[in-house]
Parts: sequence; structure tokens; C-alpha cells
Amino acid sequence: MAYQNQYRPPQYNNAPPDQSFLWNIFQRVDKDRSGAISDTELQQALSNGTWTPFNPVTVRSIISMFDRENKGGVNFNEFAGVWKYITDWQNIFRTYDRDNSGFIDKTELKQALTGFGYRLSDQFYNTLIEKFDRQKRGQVAFDDFIQCCIVLQRLTDVFRRYDTDQDGWIQVSYEQYLSMVFNVV
Amino acid sequence: MSYYGQGYPGPGGNAPQRHPAPGAPYGGGPVAGQYGSHYGSATQGQQYGGGAPYGSHGQPGPGAAYGGGQAPGGPYGGYGQSQRGPYSQQAPAGNIPPGVNPEAYQWFSSVDTDHSGYINGKELKQALMNSNNSTFNDETCIMMLNMFDKTKSGRVDVYGFSALWMFLQQWRAMFQQFDRDRSGSINSNEMHQALSQMGYNLSPQFIQELVNRYSAPGVNGVLQLDRFIQVCTQLQSMTQAFREKDTGMTGNVRLSYEDFLSSAVIRLM
Repeated sequence: MAYQNQYRPPQYNNAPPDQSFLWNIFQRVDKDRSGAISDTELQQALSNGTWTPFNPVTVRSIISMFDRENKGGVNFNEFAGVWKYITDWQNIFRTYDRDNSGFIDKTELKQALTGFGYRLSDQFYNTLIEKFDRQKRGQVAFDDFIQCCIVLQRLTDVFRRYDTDQDGWIQVSYEQYLSMVFNVV
Repeated sequence: MSYYGQGYPGPGGNAPQRHPAPGAPYGGGPVAGQYGSHYGSATQGQQYGGGAPYGSHGQPGPGAAYGGGQAPGGPYGGYGQSQRGPYSQQAPAGNIPPGVNPEAYQWFSSVDTDHSGYINGKELKQALMNSNNSTFNDETCIMMLNMFDKTKSGRVDVYGFSALWMFLQQWRAMFQQFDRDRSGSINSNEMHQALSQMGYNLSPQFIQELVNRYSAPGVNGVLQLDRFIQVCTQLQSMTQAFREKDTGMTGNVRLSYEDFLSSAVIRLM
């Protein structure tokens, strides 16, 4: 399948942070010393560059990606993955936030997603901005940018599974449609 | 702002639902796909057997004893229009803001533990319990906050909470009605009956998968109240999305990549 040759956002192969560095951070984030970082603890530790709380939906998405036993949090080993994931997104965000405003406007979002390999209409970018601009500034903050990319990726992956002849169109029944979107929205 | 005032339709409503639930996300890294929308030929996709139309969603189920087949989520009163009276955080308990359900007001006062005038996700989660004494899952708390949070800040004021509280009470009543064996949870048989009565035409296999996928860790194959609300609300929203595309009411839709993306994205919280 041609699409399996996926374009990936730039990978930042920073040297992995050493364990004691991560352990320090983990301990500071794990406020209740439970040995696992919960949604609330991670949310409090993250900043989207404004004074508003980090998007709880993004936090949930990230935790659930790395929380292998569905325990509602991440342990120290899993936290290493979370840390790298967020750092990678931070680097991507900075690359595309060309004016260093802390927000990605429509042009920058278009450049970012085009860079990832998406081909989307201008109108759809308006939809994206409208949905992911929680702060109503006409542009997207770091936390909302991550969630936007996660959602797009999931929807694209599931579409691709149904688009077996790869013509960009699918025909699906009601139940199939439900299955496609149930895990994403 | 425009999201409010349209009401929040249950499976009896016709207004588009704009506040879908967050899903249970699955893994994956920051990887996007190369997926253009400029494909040429319009080759038909696979044909799927059956194609049973999704039927009578939106009509009261036969013999539905829950108030004319309306699932919770009916219009939440004057929320958004209600005038903010002389409400202040120090107001005596009797001084209930206009348009706010008195019982909800009592709840709000006790749940708003930091007296900020708002209830955030953490406070909501601490206040809500399933019948097995587990706290509500994060997804459902986030979903409900977003449904009733007009500022998109992840918290609700007393007006938003009043609406949320009524939404919750209505779902709780439905949950109890459909929990026929009084087990405190809904199994896939009960879910099948519940969804049929709400007017959905879904196969037992599909419902079983849905229940299995959404059941909490450790309580396989059944839904507690939180996840029952989550599943039903998402189902409403996605059914509405499908109906908008299924103009011929055939039970099948043909969608381009971007049609598909839009139909799902506009229903995000």
C-alpha cells in the first residue's frame, strides 16, 4: 500500500535524557507520590504558553497512549515515553510557530500539516482552527495543536483502513461509520 | 455562544449535536499520514452486505416509558439567556440565581470546594460516583464539562452546572430503568434493549463490541453510569453525523476523505 510509506514529522533525535534527570521530573510531577502520574498531575505540570490550563483532552490523549494497563496514569517507565512525546511536539511546534508567538495561525498550521503530508482544503483549515482554537484567538495554542494532530492522524488512519482501493473515497454502512469514529471523537 | 440555545437534542431531537464526547484514545506517536484529497477516479468502494438503514432513530421506541422516547439532553432551559441576577459566591443558600435548578444549586455549592464560582474537571470527578462507588471516568467528566461550558475553559459556572446536573439526572433515571436486574451496571443485553428503545437499530454484535470496548478495567462486559452516558452521547452525535451524510436514507454513505474528516471534526468537543 502506497500510504504505508508515511511521511513523518521531523524526528528530533535528541540524546535521551538520562534516567536521574527524568526521575527528578517524575517525582516533582507525581505530587501525591502514588508512583503514577495522573491526568491532573500531568496537566498541572504542562504549560501551553498561556495562563490557561493545559487542554484536559490532550492530557487524556497522551496519558492513554502510554498507559499500558489502563490504570489511569503513567508509571516512571511510561513517563519516559510521555516526556519524549511532548518534547518532540514542542520542537515541531516551535519549528512552525515561525513568528514565535506561542500560537500557530492558519498559515502556520497549513505549513505544518502540509509538511506532515496532509493535503487539505482551505475550508477545512478554517474548520480545524475553529474547532481547536479553544482560546478564541483565531489561532491554535500548543496543547490544542497536539490534539488537532492526534485527531487528524487517527481519522486518517481509520479512513485509510476502509479505503482499500486508495481512491480517497469510502462507502460505509451506519455501523461501519460508527466504528470508524467512535474511538476518535 | 452559538452552540447554546439550540438545545441539546436527545435521540428525539433534530438539531445537530455540536458537543460530542472525547473518545478513548489509542496509541500512536506524532505521525501524520500522506493522504491527499486529489484522487481521480471515483471507483466505488466495497459493497457492504445488509445495509440495514439505521431506521427509527429519533422516534420514541415502542412502549418507551421514559417520557416519550426523549433521551436526556433536552433543552437546558434558559441557560445562556438566563440573566445573571445578584448572584455572588457569598450569597446565602436561599439566593438561587434565576434559571438554576435549586437542587443543582445545592450541589454546586458543595462541589465547588475551592469556592471559585466554577466547577472544574477535578471537582466534578470527585463529586460523581457510579453505583459501584467508582468515580466517574475522565472522558465522561470532560465530555459533560465541554457540553455545558460555553467558555471552553474546561469548567462550568452555576448555570452550566445546573444544565449539566439535569442532564446527568435524566441519564441516571434511564440507566436505572434499563438496569433491569438491578445490578448497578448495564450488560450488553440490557444495552441492546436500551438502544432499541431509544430507536437505534444496531446489531447485537456491534453493541457487544461497544460495551466491551467501553467497559472499565476490571469490570468487563458491563457499563457503569459514567460510560453508559459516554457511549449514548457519542452515539447520538455520530448518528447525527451519519444522517447528515445519508441523504437518501439508505443506511450507506459514500464519503471522500475530507468529507469524512469534517463530519467527525465538527463534532469534536
